[in-house]
Amino acid sequence: MIGRRDFIRATTLAGIGLSLPHGLLHIAESAAAAKVDLAVATGSSPATITTAAINAMGGIGKFVSRGDIVVVKPNMAWDRTPEQAGNTNPEVVATVVKLCFEAGARKVKVFDRPVNDPRRCYVQSGIAEAARALGATVDYVDERKFRDMNVKGNVLKSWPLYTEVFEADKVINIPIAKHHGLAKLTLSMKNWMGIMGGTRNRIHQRLDESLVDISMTVKPSLTILDAVRILTANGPQGGSLSDVKVMNTVVAGIDQVAVDSFGATLFGMRGSDLGYVRLGAQSGLGVMDLPKLNIHKISV
Amino acid sequence: MKNARRITQGLFLLLFLFLFFQTESKGRDELGYPVKIFLDFDPLILLTTLLSSHAVEKAFYLSLILVVMTLLLGRVFCGWVCPLGTLNNMTGFLRKTSGREKRAGWYRLKYLILFFLLVSSVFGMQLVGIFDPLSLLIRSLSVSINPIFNYGLTAFFDGIYRLDAKPLTGISEPMYMMMKKFLLAFQQPYFIQGTFIGSIFLFVLGLNLRENRFWCRYLCPLGAFLGILSRFSLLKRSVSEDCTACGACNNVCQGNAAPHEKEEWKDSECFYCWNCDDVCPQNAVSFGFAGKKRTAAMDLGRRRVLTSVAAGIAAVPLLRADSHAKQGYENPWLIRPPGSLAEREFLSGCVKCGECMKVCITNGLQPTLFEAGLEGIWSPILVPRLGYCEYRCTLCGQVCPTGAIKRLKLEEKAKVKIGIAMLDKGRCLPWAHATPCIVCEEVCPTPKKAIWFEEAKVRDRSGKESVVMQPRVDLELCIGCGICETKCPVGSRAAIYVTSIGESRSKENQLLL
Repeated sequence: MIGRRDFIRATTLAGIGLSLPHGLLHIAESAAAAKVDLAVATGSSPATITTAAINAMGGIGKFVSRGDIVVVKPNMAWDRTPEQAGNTNPEVVATVVKLCFEAGARKVKVFDRPVNDPRRCYVQSGIAEAARALGATVDYVDERKFRDMNVKGNVLKSWPLYTEVFEADKVINIPIAKHHGLAKLTLSMKNWMGIMGGTRNRIHQRLDESLVDISMTVKPSLTILDAVRILTANGPQGGSLSDVKVMNTVVAGIDQVAVDSFGATLFGMRGSDLGYVRLGAQSGLGVMDLPKLNIHKISV
Repeated sequence: MKNARRITQGLFLLLFLFLFFQTESKGRDELGYPVKIFLDFDPLILLTTLLSSHAVEKAFYLSLILVVMTLLLGRVFCGWVCPLGTLNNMTGFLRKTSGREKRAGWYRLKYLILFFLLVSSVFGMQLVGIFDPLSLLIRSLSVSINPIFNYGLTAFFDGIYRLDAKPLTGISEPMYMMMKKFLLAFQQPYFIQGTFIGSIFLFVLGLNLRENRFWCRYLCPLGAFLGILSRFSLLKRSVSEDCTACGACNNVCQGNAAPHEKEEWKDSECFYCWNCDDVCPQNAVSFGFAGKKRTAAMDLGRRRVLTSVAAGIAAVPLLRADSHAKQGYENPWLIRPPGSLAEREFLSGCVKCGECMKVCITNGLQPTLFEAGLEGIWSPILVPRLGYCEYRCTLCGQVCPTGAIKRLKLEEKAKVKIGIAMLDKGRCLPWAHATPCIVCEEVCPTPKKAIWFEEAKVRDRSGKESVVMQPRVDLELCIGCGICETKCPVGSRAAIYVTSIGESRSKENQLLL
């Protein structure tokens, strides 16, 4: 646990960092975040905990530079409302968008290739409206912008992926933590299915390997796992409020495997229970063993 | 008057097209525009629906406004308002005019069609949608013309996009984005029979090349209905003594109403376009409310009328004595939209306007050919391989003008079964091919999933054992939305598919006790 004093010092420094001219920023940040691997913030306000988690990771300025084009990738795959926890919390997404602009981002793009009708997913999730209000570009996926890319994975050799993700300066992944019939849980690595074109549902035949392959290809600057509400059964779309558990938690990290490994603990599981986390650790994508990580827990 | 009329026609056509383009989801639960209002104003649908199903949606009483208007002013709807009439007018411009046009003079035909439709609707058979001009127009636009328009424009802009020539795409892409926002469909619509229904429509337009407003003069049953009302209209046309019988008015008459015949003018054929008044060199023609109306008698021919009445009666058993009407022989593919009435009531309500197909968010609602018999031609069915029924969408019931598809609240919709999905174990990956797949379960939208798994030990060809999860369908929970069939990764024929069994609207087509 991070102490109250430590936290105040960290956030104050981060705050000062943000208000300092660009050149001084890095000095302040490195002082504030002495190599935090994961930041876990809990509290009743999704905006506050999102900000706190990012600040604990060194502040948004560490991940987004002035003039950047940033892709923010939430999960908005389902025609569900925020209370049903089928999509990423709109407040969490909006907060990240806001921070990106504060860090000087030139453009923030928010999109997903949903499973249900895109129009309903964008609107009913509340994400499109919340992100647009802050100036983000929230367009539907343009089928022309998928291009066959060399994935060079164990299972996926080449797959049509969304070019905007690879043309962006920075990519921030914002999944929601949910139950899933085959993967057991869908966390950050599975969220990349939203940038896959073609008949992506075929990857379920070898899901764990495919998820690692695709996660190796995208190199997110930051991952924010939304666990404000988590879906504990009938995932990944849910629908019944009795399957939703309010956790008021946001996890931030750079290492996708570490984020997902920690995410598993929110459901009373271990990272090693998830095939893609195990495989991800084996293939060097990230660290699965939580004791090896410097995890800062913040309560606000 | 000519310009006033053209402007009015243009404005109504634009309003019609605007509402047509608004018949598309923006992601919210409702559309926000009264997209079906032109149909609400159609008194022919009001009358035939009252006759066929003895009940009618309240909105159709709006059409009484059109009845009153016709009793006051005659068939002004045809001349000034009807969007199909305006399109006929516009197509007529393409016809090469060489002085006097040849006229078929088949004006009686449309009354005979009208009587046929009215009589069959008395016996509970609603065929008006096949001929009603607004149904015909909306159906043709939805199922064919809009997809053509969309396909053509998208192909054009995609072509430029693929050229990747910077200055060109700099202009074309912003234009494309604007069009996507206001005109183009969210996704290219594809319809079964698109070519067929489009060809019928283009044929109707093409008739204008034979004779201006051919459809309106000789075929349109709504025109016939308004024509009969027009006999009693207060607005009258009179020709003064100054008429020299030059025949100029006859050349410009839109309705083929014989304006040069003076007192033998056919008021039921007149569109009140005012052309005869405009063109008269002697200024002898005038319209007004004063005086006595002098017109030709309406002579349809007793034998002809009897024939059409007899045909209307005979059509009922002719179209019903067919396998589709046999109970216990339900067509498995006749999956009606959620909220549809029981089949008999559904057919006596549906006017085949295609509004539901236009609005269907996944393009899953398609026109029937013979699935519901000839009686039910062009009524909607869900074809899940083309598009599933979106769990939280209720738009088809909102745009249905006749209530053949009831308007459902979200909670009601969640409980309505339109069919049940079943597995084809011979094609399913975990059942037949020792390969993991869970897509049907993943996409199943019911809060407690209607698809569940049983773990099974399976062996592949080399004898290697593995555990897969084999899907099963919960017959109670499945609502038949068909998303499993749409998304099933087994291409061509899905390994899970919906048939109409278990549909809430039917008493007979059930499976469970």
